[in-house]
Amino acid sequence: MWKFTVRRLLITTPQIILLSAIVFILAKMMPGDALTGLIDPTLSQERIAEMREKLGLNNPWYIQYRDWLAGVVQGDFGQSFKYQMPVTELIWQRVINTFWLSLVSTIMIYAIGLPLGIVSGRYNDRLIDQLITGYTYLGFATPVFIFGLVALWIFGFMLGWFPTGGSVEPGLEPGTFEYILSKLHHLLLPSLSIALIGTVGTVQYLRSEIIDTKQRDFIITARAKGAPERRVYNRHIFRNSILPIAAFFGYEIINLINGSIFIEQIFSYPGMGNLFIESIMLRDYSVVTALVLLSGILAILGALLSDIILSVVDPRIRIK
Amino acid sequence: MSKSLLGKFLFVLMLASMLLIAACNSDEGSDTPDDGGEDNTEDTTDDGSDDGSEDDGESSDDKKEEDTDGLYSIEDFSTSTSNDGELIDGGEITYGLVSDTAFEGTLNWNFYSGNPDAMVIQWFDESLLTYDENYTITSDGAAEYEVNEEESSITFTIRDNVNWHDGEPVTAEDWKFAYEVISHPDYQGPRGSTVGFTLLEGMQDYRDGNADTISGIVVEDEKTITFNYERLTPSLLTGGIWGYPLAKHIFGDMAVADMASSDAVRQNPIGFGPYKVDSITPGESVTYVKNEDYWRGEPNLDKVTLKVISSSTVANALETGEVDLVDSFPVDQFPDNSNMEGIEWLGDIDLAYTYIGFKLGDWNKEESRVNYKPDEMKMGDVELRRAMWYAVDNNAVGEKFYNGLRWAGTTLIAPSHPAYHDDSIEVPTYDPEKAKQILDDAGYKDTDGDGFRETPDGEPLEINFAAMSGGDVAEPLAQYYLQQWQAVGLNVGLLDGRLLEFNTFYDRVGNGGNDDPAVDVYMGAWGVGYDVDPSGLYGPTAMFNFPRYESEENTELLEKGLSDEAFDTEYRQQVYSDWQKLMVEEIPVFPTLYRSVLIPVNERIANYDISVGSGVYLYELGVTSQD
Repeated sequence: MWKFTVRRLLITTPQIILLSAIVFILAKMMPGDALTGLIDPTLSQERIAEMREKLGLNNPWYIQYRDWLAGVVQGDFGQSFKYQMPVTELIWQRVINTFWLSLVSTIMIYAIGLPLGIVSGRYNDRLIDQLITGYTYLGFATPVFIFGLVALWIFGFMLGWFPTGGSVEPGLEPGTFEYILSKLHHLLLPSLSIALIGTVGTVQYLRSEIIDTKQRDFIITARAKGAPERRVYNRHIFRNSILPIAAFFGYEIINLINGSIFIEQIFSYPGMGNLFIESIMLRDYSVVTALVLLSGILAILGALLSDIILSVVDPRIRIK
Repeated sequence: MSKSLLGKFLFVLMLASMLLIAACNSDEGSDTPDDGGEDNTEDTTDDGSDDGSEDDGESSDDKKEEDTDGLYSIEDFSTSTSNDGELIDGGEITYGLVSDTAFEGTLNWNFYSGNPDAMVIQWFDESLLTYDENYTITSDGAAEYEVNEEESSITFTIRDNVNWHDGEPVTAEDWKFAYEVISHPDYQGPRGSTVGFTLLEGMQDYRDGNADTISGIVVEDEKTITFNYERLTPSLLTGGIWGYPLAKHIFGDMAVADMASSDAVRQNPIGFGPYKVDSITPGESVTYVKNEDYWRGEPNLDKVTLKVISSSTVANALETGEVDLVDSFPVDQFPDNSNMEGIEWLGDIDLAYTYIGFKLGDWNKEESRVNYKPDEMKMGDVELRRAMWYAVDNNAVGEKFYNGLRWAGTTLIAPSHPAYHDDSIEVPTYDPEKAKQILDDAGYKDTDGDGFRETPDGEPLEINFAAMSGGDVAEPLAQYYLQQWQAVGLNVGLLDGRLLEFNTFYDRVGNGGNDDPAVDVYMGAWGVGYDVDPSGLYGPTAMFNFPRYESEENTELLEKGLSDEAFDTEYRQQVYSDWQKLMVEEIPVFPTLYRSVLIPVNERIANYDISVGSGVYLYELGVTSQD
């Protein structure tokens, strides 16, 4: 298995280098730069030209790319023009928020999705299955930003069960028990909004996979052997049906970092999704490229992880 | 059989619940964020240092009000709270910073760049200068001033009891230090080009590195400072002077390049304002406690909590009392919320206007000035431009799209500058017949029978109109103007057939000096600052003179407005009145809409005023009930 992993890792390296070049060139191709947004008559043109020179925006793209890459290799993504602070520090600030949000919502997605999928697949075409399938169709049809708004309105404003914005109650001492509790409290509603909508794919995959596996020959064999129904489902069917979900899991971790733009905006949650949109609007290149690169790398690593997980769950892949 | 019946039942149930969701959605629909592009262009009018900055602001309003009952007028709004109940001791309020993005956290006047940060800073730090309703500095602030016309200098005396939050006095040295940092070659922030800097004696030497200090700034004693200028201009007194000292005892040992990212800016910001920062959660909230030693007196509130709040939820947050006060409110949501319980609406005229501009030349990069060449440009004929003004009904636009909260503009100095806005000037108003008449007289006639007019030379006339995207209303608004112009026989089409994204729009209109010759007419907006001087927008060397208009009379008037004589307000008023008239005659651009700002305030709040020069300050703000 380690051979397989190493081989996959070797392929990954050129992928990431290519990705970095593409990301950089694409970012430079956006019209305007960080300074074109400064449409402010108190700023003289000389001052803007000076700032542009200082930021190295006048250099040809390959020089800018070289300088940038040299920094990136050392873990330095440059300075954010808008925030006036190192990009690494800025992303770090946000990534923690997004990480917790995504972690909780990912756990919720599986906590909701797996049981529903199993029940739905096991009792397919019964009432319970139809209810669950109905829910998944609804979930597919509902955009997450509308669901988030409605959830916020009902549970946040009308019932007042959850805070309506931010990641923590203002003024609490970081590290205290109350602080952590407040963080969790702030996380619940947004992550539930993400999870209730995001889980429907998992439910559907699992359901159809279980229905499919149920009719396989080896299941009939297992039943013929006299294996109890519980064992048939838990060992034979579930393990085989989980494959596509496992394959998907690698990609889920991308979301751990990328965040959800809509949810973050609705809940005024300072995370990566917000940061990304903001920096595109303002042409804050150093942030944009760092974020795209980061999620690109994660996508590649996610695929890698998926392959590895698959090779663990499904020995057939390893043989190839 | 029963299975399929059940299936049908479920299908119906699903449909029904979908409708339910759709209904909730349409209910919430008007709350969806629309000011996406607003933040990156937000001007920083609060510090009074800038005399204008871009404001893409096409806030949306897709309310279709059939009757006139849905119309509002800014004159019906007061700028101050009406609550005159007795203040309670130890009140607390929550202040909502309405933004769809987090605040940057550059919490110092000398380094911040975005408007959200300014809203955070205003609670704990303030300018040494205060302004009256005409945006001229007064001696009511933390520093008193005296102008010495003979020596072209201004002397300020900081009050004795003005101290930083850590107890150190705010000194003349601190003020000088701010100037030195901002003018330093390593300074990265967007400041330092107002007259308050450029006219200082010795500024050039300092910038070039030939001097260690700016010779024009003289520290007389601990609290007294004199600024010596090359010459005096009224702009100095209307926002030109930088009034924010930088605490030298904290920043003194730091390298200039490191200041903006230092802890003293990000984590433990310092000021001398009515409240002190207690804690900061980066990007989302700040808590303040009162500064008992505030120089004006002890603030009324014990605690202020500021939190970022999304524009899609601000109305709900106000209604439930989660926030008491906000920094801004999306105007398009006002009609739905105008009767919100427990909320008082304050309103004022915005320091901004929307306008339509005509390209009359391009930018000469070598000489850094406009290249006015009306003869070569499609829009070069002033009669054509005048007809296009007559052809549009801006009052109808204000009523239909903005419920009357924006209204037809007349001159290029908005009524937000009451002393300089000249409302006696007659300007073209909607009259399509007159527009046609003007075009006929000027020789624009339809000679080939295609329904559109040709130029007087018989050439086909195709006009490209550039408009910005952003907000639901941008598209219908652009279409409206196109229709109106087409109705008088002008073949005006949308540039590229679509709206342009903010950066692309200004790139093509000419920001950067590469004017796209395809643009003939464009629609933009300016947020104007405290200083009424428009030369940053219409002067011959101003990059933001996007129409690329220049004339001797214009240049002369703009110079007069900044001359020594203009210290006499009446003289200055006359100059700018003449200038407004000139712009109405020449029409390089014409204003389409003036705007209003509306701020909702919880009824328990007292002593709050949103206008400049009201004489009501933040430390007086109080509450009359616990919640």
